[in-house]
Amino acid sequence: MEKGVRRDWYKLDLSAIVYPTLQRRDFSSVYRLSVLLKEEIDPRVLQQAVDMTLPRFPTYKAAIRKGLFWRYLEPNNRPGPFVQEDVKNPCQPMYFKANNRYLVKVYYYRNRIALEAHHSLGDGTGGMCVLQTLVAVYLRLLGHEEIENGGFVLDIGREPDPEELEDAYMRYANAKVRPPRPGEKTYRVRGTKEPFYTLNIIDGIMSVSQVMAVAKKYNATITEYLNAVLLYALLTKQEKDWHLRLRPVKIAMPVNLRRFFPSKTLRNFITMIYPGVDPRLGDYTFEEIVTQVHNYMRYYLNEKFLRGDITTNAATQKNPLIRVVPLFIKDFVVRMFYTKVQDKNSSAGLTNMGAIKVPEGMKPYIERFDIYMGQPFSSRTNCAIVSFDDILTINFASSIIEADVERYFFRKLVSDGIHVKIESNREITEE
Amino acid sequence: MSYCVNCGVELDPSAKNCPLCNTPVINPSDLKTRQQPTPFPKEKGQVETVKRKDLGILLSTVVLATAVTCGILNAFVFQGTLWSLAVIGVCVILWVIMIPVVIYTKQSIYVSLLFDGAAVMVYLYMIAYMIQRDDWFYGLGMPIVLWVIFLSECFVLCVRKLPRSFLTVALYLFTALALLCLGLEFLIDLYLDGQAAFQWSAIVATVCVIVDIAIITLLSRRRLRNEVRRRLHF
Repeated sequence: MEKGVRRDWYKLDLSAIVYPTLQRRDFSSVYRLSVLLKEEIDPRVLQQAVDMTLPRFPTYKAAIRKGLFWRYLEPNNRPGPFVQEDVKNPCQPMYFKANNRYLVKVYYYRNRIALEAHHSLGDGTGGMCVLQTLVAVYLRLLGHEEIENGGFVLDIGREPDPEELEDAYMRYANAKVRPPRPGEKTYRVRGTKEPFYTLNIIDGIMSVSQVMAVAKKYNATITEYLNAVLLYALLTKQEKDWHLRLRPVKIAMPVNLRRFFPSKTLRNFITMIYPGVDPRLGDYTFEEIVTQVHNYMRYYLNEKFLRGDITTNAATQKNPLIRVVPLFIKDFVVRMFYTKVQDKNSSAGLTNMGAIKVPEGMKPYIERFDIYMGQPFSSRTNCAIVSFDDILTINFASSIIEADVERYFFRKLVSDGIHVKIESNREITEE
Repeated sequence: MSYCVNCGVELDPSAKNCPLCNTPVINPSDLKTRQQPTPFPKEKGQVETVKRKDLGILLSTVVLATAVTCGILNAFVFQGTLWSLAVIGVCVILWVIMIPVVIYTKQSIYVSLLFDGAAVMVYLYMIAYMIQRDDWFYGLGMPIVLWVIFLSECFVLCVRKLPRSFLTVALYLFTALALLCLGLEFLIDLYLDGQAAFQWSAIVATVCVIVDIAIITLLSRRRLRNEVRRRLHF
């Protein structure tokens, strides 16, 4: 690597600006992607694979530094990141100065390789590229030479494409009008907070074709159907709990903008939509919830509305008056806005990575994928969905003791005739 | 393969309870103790701490530079009085307070308090040396510092070792306040008049004792305690 060939720093992209300001002692925006292979992991080979793979991803082999006005990413050449044995409580906060300043961690446990990354480096799609490339390199090191590049598996021998490192938001933030952000207080899940360092995970494993068949019965896609089930679970929880008044129930759902705006970026390129129902208008039957979600998605998920959304978000960052404000004041204001408005805007998070595709040669070695949205900012539960082949996994990550939402959610699936298998890291309470 | 009788979901072979509803899994045909590998590891991870070495070095340098510069200025430029001692003393106090925060975070609080007291005493002695009068230091400064340190150590000891609640901490605090005022007036009177007579501190002590008695009553009666908790919870 000669001097001057690679850029020596990167601006944070539009969403990445927010995540570091929300950093607390007990909260980081960390997500986890993991893959279950069919054989036990060899940590020594895995470490070798990490060392070979990560230089291909300059924005992941990076550290966050503070400037006077903005934070930025700086290439990190310190030793690491080192693979480590997995822990019971994943998605721990990542402090910017710890762990040799790396913001990615690689864990292994039995057949599983897990990649944790700070959200300011990139979104799930970017992380999936890193994970799949890592797995391909790892399998090739074990002698499976036939695995080809393509899809999420990038060629580690090539220099990164500049488009992979771009802030794609700025390219598409060009609508002529800035639609207002939604801002409405929604239902908050009440629960007993677990102590710091605990993340409760419940995985539901089911068959894609079964879920697809049930969703079709309701005339919906899998995402719409599962969204509706989560809304139904939240509505049931709100109804059964003690409450002064009902509030609308909404789900924050990230949309992968690469589907609508062509970009190869490995950094963040997502925006949020908020499907929901308002129980103050009357009781919804499940079919009505599905219809509501279905129509909402049809209405909002198009290139025009999303472009407006990006433009609104980019406007604040482009404003010269805001740009010259020192970072600590920005941090304060953004944190206030997030806790007072943005965080109250949704009752739960749900993300669907969809069906993961891997190169043909890699398919026989992979059992399934898992993704976790990580420690929720406020006490609630987050849900992440991913499917591979015929296995669909729904991963709940929550920081509260009660598993009511999860219970209503999976019971609804079971009563719709879907076979669900549950795995969890919850402590067995013997009462 | 077990199913939860309540939720109807299939459970992992290692599960002893349903993660959703906590119903125990009992399979009558498979009662042997299960030693299945769990889907998640059992060990908890710890978050790596951030080393504040750089900050420690930076702050130490700033403090040291201030002290040395003032010392040199005093020695060669403004030579009238030993004014630099006042600045150097403050630097010493700042540095000693800094130790548990940025330099050695594992230092016990008792030792930290002792060091803080010692630093304050050194500072007072420097002032005494600077103005060439030290009777107030031995008669007033040193005893008051010793008394304050002693009370703080006792307070910390009580808070740490005895059962801690909002009420007990208030109890320790008011007791310490009463003792502090009594001690202060005693030492001041002794230094000024040569004999001790309690006046204003007696009033403070009385008030504190009344508050203490009220707290002790609350603490000793469970019914009262619960009543207070019920009415004042927030």
